[in-house]
Amino acid sequence: MKLQDIDVAVIGSGPAGMAAAVKAKETGAENVVIIERAEYLGGLLDQCVHNGFGLLYFNEDLTGPEYGRRFIEKLMDTKVGTMLETMVIKLSPDRELTAVSSKEGVITFRPKGIVLAMGCRERSRGAINIPGTRPSGILTAGTAQRLVNIDGSIPGKKIVILGSGDIGMIMARRLTLEGAKVEAVVEILPYTGGLIRNEVQCVHDFSIPLLLHSTVSEIHGEQRIEAVTVAEVDENNNPIAATERRIECDTLLLSVGLIPENELSLMAGIELDPITGGAIVDEFRQTNVPGIFAGGNVVHVHDLVDNASWESEIAGESAAKFAMGEKWGKEKIRLKAGRNIRYIVPQTISGERDVTLYMRVKEPEKLVRVKVGDIMSKTLRVVKPSEMQKLEISADQLKKLKEGTKEITIACEKLERKGGK
Amino acid sequence: MPKEEKVICVGCPLGCEVELTLDDKGKVTEVKGNQCKEGESYAIEEYKNPVRVLCGTVLTQGSSRALLAIRSKTPILKTKLVGGNKALAKVRAKPPVKMGDVIMSNLVGTGVDVVATSDLPD
Repeated sequence: MKLQDIDVAVIGSGPAGMAAAVKAKETGAENVVIIERAEYLGGLLDQCVHNGFGLLYFNEDLTGPEYGRRFIEKLMDTKVGTMLETMVIKLSPDRELTAVSSKEGVITFRPKGIVLAMGCRERSRGAINIPGTRPSGILTAGTAQRLVNIDGSIPGKKIVILGSGDIGMIMARRLTLEGAKVEAVVEILPYTGGLIRNEVQCVHDFSIPLLLHSTVSEIHGEQRIEAVTVAEVDENNNPIAATERRIECDTLLLSVGLIPENELSLMAGIELDPITGGAIVDEFRQTNVPGIFAGGNVVHVHDLVDNASWESEIAGESAAKFAMGEKWGKEKIRLKAGRNIRYIVPQTISGERDVTLYMRVKEPEKLVRVKVGDIMSKTLRVVKPSEMQKLEISADQLKKLKEGTKEITIACEKLERKGGK
Repeated sequence: MPKEEKVICVGCPLGCEVELTLDDKGKVTEVKGNQCKEGESYAIEEYKNPVRVLCGTVLTQGSSRALLAIRSKTPILKTKLVGGNKALAKVRAKPPVKMGDVIMSNLVGTGVDVVATSDLPD
């Protein structure tokens, strides 16, 4: 495959990138290439040795490496080209892409369509400003996951985990099984930040203390971390001094959120959504830069890998169509987040075809009706910020929109329980 | 004396706290707190037979990789997770290993095999 003949280039080979590349090929793009900075395909899947992958996509309970393998086989079957140990360092608004690899040196080319699938990265100590000393032994949950599951070393023996994101809870279980003592999982919110099955199967199963509405208010230790001060927080999330207590530990893991990785997007002049931290996209997952599409965690952080792959397939399909000459009209309807909706992806739709919306709420709430303008609504028993909501709207329902509609508000309406208890 | 047991249902984001009432023989006589039918059957099953897939890694010998990812082929009793993982600490996987190859059969008497979830190159 000559560089100048590349129809679609996908940046990143995690669950989103692989799904996009396969779909681009299946849609009819001839020369599709996937660019990966690591020496193997799959992104972070290899270090996610736990199960829970593919329950929706494959209808099977797979581990990370098994889920990755399914897509790697599809890549091989569909003859997608792979450029490993190649890192994209520059992307311009006219889709000129510059990458480096030790084999090829610096290469520059201009694919007809590009899919951004760079995923996300973890928030670190600097992002949350924990007071105290700066000893070693403080790392993100994902770094610990790599150490334990790929490199074969345990970061410590007495562990405190700050934040109850899914990776944090999964590492609580993993480290416990590997013989470490997890002293506590500390979460500032009154509820955990991850999936309910992870709370039950990773924290409760091993009787790990779960300290809700609490935070780490100080880090102690000179060379190596020796202890943390943990305190309950008040309604403004400030530590309450009277509740402070010291927990001895040799390691502090942070599981305090993920941020889409968008350095390249910014270089290309792509507009980001301040709420998701990812690119603003339309229903074809096209960004504001024609021919550049995005899918997966680089758009917004998903809780289930299956959704990241599905979403990215839209980007792959669209990139292939764009490369083959298809263009889309500029007419777009903006989706506006109303009551208790934090964000909606895609941010704009055409209003002409079936579309699936991915949304997150701001606050947990029971018994709500999600309303899409006045064209449809769906009643849900519960919504939680940690569990993404998926809402399918059909072209027929969209026909109910008034001519010239520019904006639809999506809102969560609180329902009163009628009768009974 | 009837006994009470609590189970959190993981069937949906609701995470209902389901209360089971048991008679002297450990038979479930009442289920409350669930908000749907599946919650009831989940809670009874989770009380009687709480099973999980054991996932993790084993050390390798003669490979460029330090570890090989593994899983129990099917779920095992959750009380067997710690002992199961301990038993796996003694295993050294030698290449070549293909995904799905049995790494240890009949893990701690559960009757369940442990399989590789990825390949192990030289």
